[in-house]
Amino acid sequence: MKPTRRWAALAVAGLVAALGSPAVGSLTLARADDATVRTGEAIVAHGVSPERPGCAACHMQDGAGQPEVGIPRLAGLTGPYIAAQLEAFATGARRNAAMSPYAAMLTPAQRQAVTDYIARLPVPPQADPLPVPARQRNHGRTLFLDGDYRTGLLACAQCHGQTGLGVGAFSPRLAGQSAAYVAEQLRAWHANRPRDAQDAFMRSVAGRLTPSDIEDVAAFVASLGEKESGTP
Amino acid sequence: MKIRTSYAVAGLLACVVGASGWLVGRLPAFALAAEPAGRPVTFQPPPDSAIPQGKFGDMVRLGERIFREPATYAPQFVGNQLRCSNCHLQAGRQAGAAPMWAAYTAYPAYRSKNGHVNSFEERLQGCFRYSMNGKPPPLGDTVLVALETYSYFLAKGLPTGEDAPGRSFPTLPKPQLPADYARGAQVYVQSCASCHGPQGQGQSSGGKVVFPPLWGPQSFNWGAGMTSIKSAAEFIRANMPLGLGGTLSVQQAWDVATYMDSQVRPQDPRFTGDVEQTRKKFHNTPFSMYGQTVNGAVLGDPTATPPDGTVPVAATAAPVQQAD
Repeated sequence: MKPTRRWAALAVAGLVAALGSPAVGSLTLARADDATVRTGEAIVAHGVSPERPGCAACHMQDGAGQPEVGIPRLAGLTGPYIAAQLEAFATGARRNAAMSPYAAMLTPAQRQAVTDYIARLPVPPQADPLPVPARQRNHGRTLFLDGDYRTGLLACAQCHGQTGLGVGAFSPRLAGQSAAYVAEQLRAWHANRPRDAQDAFMRSVAGRLTPSDIEDVAAFVASLGEKESGTP
Repeated sequence: MKIRTSYAVAGLLACVVGASGWLVGRLPAFALAAEPAGRPVTFQPPPDSAIPQGKFGDMVRLGERIFREPATYAPQFVGNQLRCSNCHLQAGRQAGAAPMWAAYTAYPAYRSKNGHVNSFEERLQGCFRYSMNGKPPPLGDTVLVALETYSYFLAKGLPTGEDAPGRSFPTLPKPQLPADYARGAQVYVQSCASCHGPQGQGQSSGGKVVFPPLWGPQSFNWGAGMTSIKSAAEFIRANMPLGLGGTLSVQQAWDVATYMDSQVRPQDPRFTGDVEQTRKKFHNTPFSMYGQTVNGAVLGDPTATPPDGTVPVAATAAPVQQAD
């Protein structure tokens, strides 16, 4: 458990999503390829090299991430999205100092195993989200659902869905995601820092957000709970 | 001119969101979309916060809810999975995406599509019949009253009797090369399919359609304005990929519109029983592919064409495709 902290800090420095989370033999979904899922589970728990720990060191056993320090939650992301991001990290198409070496260590088959494992994780209960002032949450909700036609800001819901569950490989689930992570991504896009091959969309959107908009919308998506969002 | 305008405005629902990976930098997408050359858009519709309390405000709010989620708030009239706001972006506020404020002040108007002067309500009926592949609500129905009230609210301060800058879609120059289906297919794969799906079927999230179907049984029918390649190209060039309008070239917009409008979709509700006759009567323009042969099949052929006006079947149908 101790190394967890260290690696967590490292990941925060670089930011950005990834894989991860072991969970011990709790897989009830017998569908698909159980052997592959078990391989993925082992990689998530222990990694593939003695030099580096598994994904779980940062993203936790249940894929919950560490929301307070901006390590994203992986449980709840779709298989196509996870697969696409892992590949992008591995090839360098998505730039992230913390994630790239991990993804690059994995063979395509190992990446698929990790993907299959994570995509089957149940969405963990939210860890007591920090209370968000009503005004901030309401403003975040308005931005999320309606955008702002005066600035040309699209609603987040236009691509991520009204309940923030995301769509296939294109747009990730936002509901319940770490506010710190979401805000950091938005700030990077706002600063027009390239992230990956598809980020023209998010750079265009984030460029229309003010710093306080970013805080508000990040707080709102983090607070989007299961009741509002249903299940993927 | 009249035909063009009416078809363009008729190009309600269903549109083309898209993904394109290689676009660089932050793009002034909406600025491009909102300002057709030479006619700057100065009008700003009021925000939701300006909706008053009371019965009038309640009707405005109902209208906006129907506009955003017609299958939920007007299911008896909706025959597909589209929303008004799929094409009338920003819930009918976006200039260059057939904004409702500009449509509101353009009626009553003579329309060559049906050969008489149409009230705004009658114009809205057309949206349900064609773009929503549904049934027109009767004149005076609450659904039409609510949509009219919402549009009226959005048009606050806009003069009548003038074509408001920002109305319909920005006019598009002709392409350098004749618009081409095969090139359009490439544009589609590159810039549209990641949202609208490889088969144009759209994509859902949490049981709700997020990216609208562009063809097939859940999209607009052959009577909709968006089946005009010209209207579709104008809309696409100004507004797609969503948030990155103006980034496709004029040629790409024409090509991909040709591709989209050469696909199978529900029958024209005005179908006479004969495809050739229907084409002659309602699609006698190079911008319509109805009745043309594409990939060996005649578009509109009743044996291979989904029915029109599929309510209430579609109202209870499962979404096309889950997120995962």
